[in-house]
Amino acid sequence: MITAILTMVFSWCLFSGQLPDSLLVPLCVLLGVLIAFVSRYGHSQSLSVDVLAQMSRLRTVNPMLKFWILFILMIVCIASANVYTGLFLLVAMLVMAVFVGGLPLSRYIRVLALPVSFLMIGGLALLFEISPSSMGVLNIPVPVFGFWLSVSAETQARTALVVAHALGAVSCLCLISLSTPMPDIISVLRRMRCPSVVIDLMYLIYRYIFILLTLHREMRVAAQSRLGFRSYRTSLRATGMIYSNLLARSYQFASKNYDAMESRCCDTGIRFLERPNRISLTHAMVAAALLAAALVLCFLPL
Amino acid sequence: MRNRVKRLASRLSAFEQSLTFSRSEKVVLAISLAFTVCFAMPATAQAMHIMEGFLPPEYCIAWGAICVPFLVLGVIRIKRLIANTSRHTLILLAMAGAFIFVISSLKIPSVTGSCSHMTGTGLGAILFGPTPVSVLGIIVLIFQATLLAHGGLTTLGANCFSMAIAGPIIAWLLYKGALALRINRSVAIFIAVMLGDLFTYCVTSVQLALAYPSDVGGVVASAVKFLGVFAPTQVPLAVVEGLLTVLIIIGMQSFASKELKEISFGEKKAGVA
Repeated sequence: MITAILTMVFSWCLFSGQLPDSLLVPLCVLLGVLIAFVSRYGHSQSLSVDVLAQMSRLRTVNPMLKFWILFILMIVCIASANVYTGLFLLVAMLVMAVFVGGLPLSRYIRVLALPVSFLMIGGLALLFEISPSSMGVLNIPVPVFGFWLSVSAETQARTALVVAHALGAVSCLCLISLSTPMPDIISVLRRMRCPSVVIDLMYLIYRYIFILLTLHREMRVAAQSRLGFRSYRTSLRATGMIYSNLLARSYQFASKNYDAMESRCCDTGIRFLERPNRISLTHAMVAAALLAAALVLCFLPL
Repeated sequence: MRNRVKRLASRLSAFEQSLTFSRSEKVVLAISLAFTVCFAMPATAQAMHIMEGFLPPEYCIAWGAICVPFLVLGVIRIKRLIANTSRHTLILLAMAGAFIFVISSLKIPSVTGSCSHMTGTGLGAILFGPTPVSVLGIIVLIFQATLLAHGGLTTLGANCFSMAIAGPIIAWLLYKGALALRINRSVAIFIAVMLGDLFTYCVTSVQLALAYPSDVGGVVASAVKFLGVFAPTQVPLAVVEGLLTVLIIIGMQSFASKELKEISFGEKKAGVA
């Protein structure tokens, strides 16, 4: 809901003065309603991305190829001087994730909604300038200090560019995270000759994050089933008890986890079996086509 | 029937008794109260990580380059630490990393798209020193970027510098300085972590301002603008993080005192903690 309102306000500030009001207002309202409609239901579980990545049909594509092509696309996107590259990548990544990867559209939009709403708040900060006079397209007076918060045509253009860059790059990032489970990403880093200590730490931290989150959820459910969150006072009490136990319990858990590894003769780096996914011709061609399209758009004169 | 009611009543009273609190539990409760109050405020600031695509490429490269020496130092330090101590150090390191992840992606209550967050790096800086934390920080930032779309890969350098290098260095210096001045250890931890967190957010604002200076006032005006955007949520959060870290270290001294001794934490006796 907040995202929807934000979208309305933001798109109004971004385009005001460039489009006639009779067109702009319905457009903003439409965008807001659309977003409110799509993000209506669903509980966002923490780290659901990890599950979605395992289910994606793109999971079997060679992780090196995926990671590098998307990373290069991101760089092309933020280096481009026009808004089209970003918008193209936004659409292209949606197509890849939803139609090729087989992810439901609403899930994809929900994953994207959070960074996009951060982006819009950041965009508002970029859009408004502190200026001594009311020379902009849109002006808000600040009564006490005697200056104006104004939006000018330049800041609008600049913000549009930044937002397009960010949208494109975030879509690429989302595709990486929605198609590549974390162990694959870690294995890419390992092949980039990351020090083995760092790789070990990555695996352990990844595991411990889940230990912390799982224990936290279990404790919450336990407290809930004992009416721990019935009133404000009891919920404070329950929260306090959960947090005071969380770290101690999860530390014990992690310790046992490490004992188990050691008892199976783990003394040097942690290694997992990796699926040998070869780069197929189709995958390579799709990647090359995406890159070519982005590059062409990047150098498009504006 | 009456028997049953009696039994139920006695059970209830037993339950009640199990809920009476010791002093330390009360402290935890008080903190959690502060926690809730702070998070329940309708927060309207941008997340503290600079998001993907928000910085122009030259800034991404520059910040990334600045981070490299710190990361190399960090890896060397971690290798030495692990070689010189037992395996428990690795668990502690990884746990500190997981802590950074969880605490800097906590969104309570999850008002979509409207939260600043804590950094969690102060704890690691106090336990291990600033450079190992930079390695933990960059790992966590990669996880957050790929698991939560929070932060980004191209802005990794900038985020790493503010959250995992600048903040921890300040926190560590303050902590050591405060100990040298013979300030109570808990107070020292609190001050160090709180100011480290605030410094992180100042650095983030300056980074944004350097990339996007104001037309009228230049970099300084722009920095003030971004600071203003962050301030209302980040200041209380910094205080909460300070308190939380003190509590955690007190807790760790009870259940992981051996491991803490191994990384030579708390050797000089100072204060109560």
